[in-house]
Amino acid sequence: MPADTVIRTEGLVKDYRVGSRFRGGGSVRALAGLDLEVRRGEVFGFLGPNGAGKSTTIRILLDQLRPTAGRAEVLGTTPRAGGPALRARIGYLPGELRLSGRATAGELLGHLTRLRGGRGAERIDECAQRLDLDLSRPIRSLSKGNKQKVGVVQAFVHAPELLILDEPTSGLDPLLQQEFLSMVREACDDGATVFMSSHVLSEVEEIADRVAIVRAGVVVDVDDVAALRHHAGQQVELVFAAPVAADDFADVPGVEQLTVSDRTLRCLLRGEPDALLKAAARHHVVRWSAQDRELEDLFLDFYRVPPSEVRRDSTEVR
Amino acid sequence: MRAAAITGWVLRERRRSLTLWALALMAVCAMYLAFYPSMANQDMEAIIAGLPEGLVEAMGWDAIATGAGYLESTVYALLGPALLLVFGIGAGAGLIAGEEEAGTLELETAAPVGRRSLLLQRHLALALGLLLLCTALAAMALVLAPALDMGIAASGIVAASVGLYLLVLAMATIAFAVGAASGRRATALGVAAAVTVLAYIADALAPMVEGAAWLETISPFAWYLGGEPLTRGVDAGGVLALAALTLVVLAAGMIAFERRDLGV
Repeated sequence: MPADTVIRTEGLVKDYRVGSRFRGGGSVRALAGLDLEVRRGEVFGFLGPNGAGKSTTIRILLDQLRPTAGRAEVLGTTPRAGGPALRARIGYLPGELRLSGRATAGELLGHLTRLRGGRGAERIDECAQRLDLDLSRPIRSLSKGNKQKVGVVQAFVHAPELLILDEPTSGLDPLLQQEFLSMVREACDDGATVFMSSHVLSEVEEIADRVAIVRAGVVVDVDDVAALRHHAGQQVELVFAAPVAADDFADVPGVEQLTVSDRTLRCLLRGEPDALLKAAARHHVVRWSAQDRELEDLFLDFYRVPPSEVRRDSTEVR
Repeated sequence: MRAAAITGWVLRERRRSLTLWALALMAVCAMYLAFYPSMANQDMEAIIAGLPEGLVEAMGWDAIATGAGYLESTVYALLGPALLLVFGIGAGAGLIAGEEEAGTLELETAAPVGRRSLLLQRHLALALGLLLLCTALAAMALVLAPALDMGIAASGIVAASVGLYLLVLAMATIAFAVGAASGRRATALGVAAAVTVLAYIADALAPMVEGAAWLETISPFAWYLGGEPLTRGVDAGGVLALAALTLVVLAAGMIAFERRDLGV
């Protein structure tokens, strides 16, 4: 593994057993040969719909799960061989964070830093303040959003070399999402590598350098975010004062799937909108809208593996 | 104290529950022993003689008229183990499997702590919690037995309490280890409860059924009380058997815990 590779998986396969071993239960394939490479110092977005295998991949990196086949390496070692020493270098935010108990948020964070030999204990207050987290409240009385803040604090507070964040912004309101993103940027400025998953492109496109798209347990595309946004395109709708001819727009660069009905033009626009705007400006435009396409639409484009070839038993597994 | 940080955390989280259980055990012990003077004044032998022989043997009432016999039949053979086993098996099943199913174990398993260390620290918390409860029970008996003139040596109470502790620890460890191996709280509870009930039945049937005496040799209940610790002191064989059961089960649970997927 080259020195600048922080996470690498090769042909990672994970099967879960379902049903009883005694009553002919089968297995479900959550990962079907997943290849991934994350370089030192980058923010890497790991995108896919729920059930695509994001959490499974992440939990293998943390040695919570053991791969059925293939290989995973984190910071130059396998998660299992790396053991506690490897996990000391990783800050992890689980996708389904569950916290309970009578202890206060501050006490729990104190406990978790003690498990790291006290590393980061002095930064708990500062981190909590940034996210507006009240450390004196009992954990079981915290809302989902506040619990998520506890999760974010415990992942960042010891300034790890590698941050592995599973759906980190779920439950955070928009203001806190911005604060979270600035924490990610600062961690990167300090040399950390960030690997974060999401099922929404807009959550990671602002911060990520590169993005992998995972579907049914395989990576179907790896790209930098600008290229991905270009591929994704926007759904554009223009309404004119008078009927227009489709021919006027058919040859505009970046315009696809053009439909013109009477005064309304709809198309998929890839790349810069400049040419389309200039073409439209020759007419009287009364209304316009341009919407980023949803990730799900993106998958339709990125179907390098046709659905029929995806194993039929690749259904949703946490 | 990084070495036992998890043990300390677990005990802290449960300090309220442990306190309540300790008080309940002491109250039950005090309540039963408080009846002893009035029972001793009646002709207990006559009452027992009127009962079916099998029932008397099964319940261990053949010596109920003595102080040691009374303490054993009420506290050490009945309510003490019953309450402690309910607590111990519940806690044992919860400490790995219960917290894993609830998802609250994930931050700990993702921390720089090895699985073996995590398991041993949590088992240590179980062992210390049970030790506290057994000590509370023993302390109450040690105070009340001489005060009520029951004629039991303090060494007998200590011996019986050591046996009780090891019995409960063994059964709680079964729940803990099955939970660690399977990650399923219900499985852990079920297996430990079944073993406990079978052990109790085996111990009760052994003296009654012809040719069933061998059942005593495999019943942890017999390892605990078969040597009559309240009158004869520590039963080394029984103590060793209970301790060995705990260690073997814990080791097996640890091996399985290190190998399997967590939180699935």
